[in-house]
Amino acid sequence: MDLQRKSFQLRHVDAGSCNACEQELTALLSKELDMQRYGIDMVASPRHADGLVVTGPVTDTMKTALEKVWESVPRPRKLIALGDCAVGCGVFQAAYASHGGVGAALETPDLEIRGCPPDPKKILKKLNP
Amino acid sequence: MVENERWIRVHVERKRAGEQLLSLTGDRERRIRSHWLLPDGRIEAESLICEEGRFPSLSVSLPEVAWDEREIHDMFGYVPEGHPDLRPLVRTPRWPDSFYPLKERVAAPQWLDVEPDNPAKVVEGEGMTVMKVGPTHAGIIESGHFVFSIMGENILHLDAHLFQNHRGVEKTLEGLTVTDARPFVSRICGADTVSHQYNFVSAVEQLTGREVPEAVAWQRVLLLESERILSHLNDLAQIPAGVGFTVAHQRGLAMKEVWQQELAAVFGHRFLFDAMNQGQITMSGKERFLTALSSLEREWGKWRKLVDRQRGFHDRMRGVGVVRREDADQLGAVGVALRATGIRLDVRAQMPLYRHVQIAIPHVSGGDVEARFQVRLQEVENSFRLLRTALEQLRKDATRDDWQPPVDVTGEAVGYSESPHGLNAHVLQIKNGRIERYHVRSGAYRNWPVLALAVAGNAVADFPLINKSFELCYSCADR
Ligand code: SF4
Repeated sequence: MDLQRKSFQLRHVDAGSCNACEQELTALLSKELDMQRYGIDMVASPRHADGLVVTGPVTDTMKTALEKVWESVPRPRKLIALGDCAVGCGVFQAAYASHGGVGAALETPDLEIRGCPPDPKKILKKLNP
Repeated sequence: MVENERWIRVHVERKRAGEQLLSLTGDRERRIRSHWLLPDGRIEAESLICEEGRFPSLSVSLPEVAWDEREIHDMFGYVPEGHPDLRPLVRTPRWPDSFYPLKERVAAPQWLDVEPDNPAKVVEGEGMTVMKVGPTHAGIIESGHFVFSIMGENILHLDAHLFQNHRGVEKTLEGLTVTDARPFVSRICGADTVSHQYNFVSAVEQLTGREVPEAVAWQRVLLLESERILSHLNDLAQIPAGVGFTVAHQRGLAMKEVWQQELAAVFGHRFLFDAMNQGQITMSGKERFLTALSSLEREWGKWRKLVDRQRGFHDRMRGVGVVRREDADQLGAVGVALRATGIRLDVRAQMPLYRHVQIAIPHVSGGDVEARFQVRLQEVENSFRLLRTALEQLRKDATRDDWQPPVDVTGEAVGYSESPHGLNAHVLQIKNGRIERYHVRSGAYRNWPVLALAVAGNAVADFPLINKSFELCYSCADR
């Protein structure tokens, strides 16, 4: 085990998810998966973050808020689309108030984690390859 | 005019007679429709044609429909005349004036390049501060915007601006066949998915007169109660987090995680998405499920001991976020929030699905965080018993339930169920097998205004605790 790993601080924004992706992200903080031991954690402000995790297909009402949060993340930074909705292949892609995922609404994400919702073990693997 | 007076009178009378409002919504044919659940389980409808795009508002005499009428105004443009607060609810300043998504068959509009904030209601005066929170939050939670009017440390008024998660689900379902609509309905909300799936299938079955085989019915009870346990475990684990009781929070989440892994192994999905059309539990699945249930019950026993004996934890929850019984009744509160005030209503008692079992409704009153915690504790244990009953009934390996509705299914029906977050109703209008109109009235939608009222008079610092004690979904309210 590498005792001197880097850290990866993340901020989360829900942009229209059904809440299952959030619950799976929360599961990474549980006793079982405990992502903090790998130096990965959720932070309260985008200004403290190295990356942004977005869930949901990006609803119109969340679009400007999402843009502002993304703008506040200091560079270099990583954009992560969590779940099919955010990746752009979820069921609500074509709904009128959906902007069709993070790629279409904001910019191409650095990391896509597919699944509806993705299994927490898979999320952890993707965040901590 | 006579018709308008009648409209208001019949609704007030129904409420007085102890009926429960399932939904109030509109359709493209300019009709305003309400559906009521009678104490004997029958559903009755009231209907009114919107003359010149107007209809008489019920909100003054029936405050629980205040949001429903605002939503009808937003989505169809029909005006509820006499509504005391007709600010936009779902729509935002970014929506073009002519855009009424449910009225016409339109595609996505050209959104206006402005901020999405709607006018807020605040208390003004000396010593008042307005504190805005959201729509994005510091933790991993859904988006919502809260405008607090505070004096010192106390909340005087909360104006909850939700609907940031509005995707346009009802519109998306229009034109789809029953089969195609299923994955969408399953994903309206991650916390109450089985209840949503059940409402849909139940509405379709009502229209076709299908007699649901016993085994299929028990399988549904199995899924609905498994979901209730999952959701209550989550919500019960979140409440201790609101007061810094981390060990109960983490151990609660650990139980939830194990339960989810078992649900995935037996039913194919950690949240039971699409589980209602997966067919019946196999005998080996049943064995595994029983073992999982027994081990969860053991863990649960230990967890209960941990939380029961922490006096300080209970002191912390008492008297906080109180919902008064009269308010719960007036605002049409549902589910745990309602039962915690001592009003013992649980629509499982009316659902034909549960006719062979006794639904035990907890004797709790007080309406505070503690009461909502206690209701959930008892309901989890009741659900353990219901699961055992259902498993006993599912004796034989049955074949898959591959029933399909006739391709030309036509009509209107309401499916309802007691979701983990309270009475959840779906109104389906379908013509020749294609959905014409679909309306979702979730438990969370009814309870958000109740929550807003419950926080008034409490310390700002207690908002997270009160919020967690309701644990309302955003997505199935916002749709
Ligand atoms: S990807 Fe699936 S689980 Fe995640 S928000 Fe979308 S519908 Fe929900």
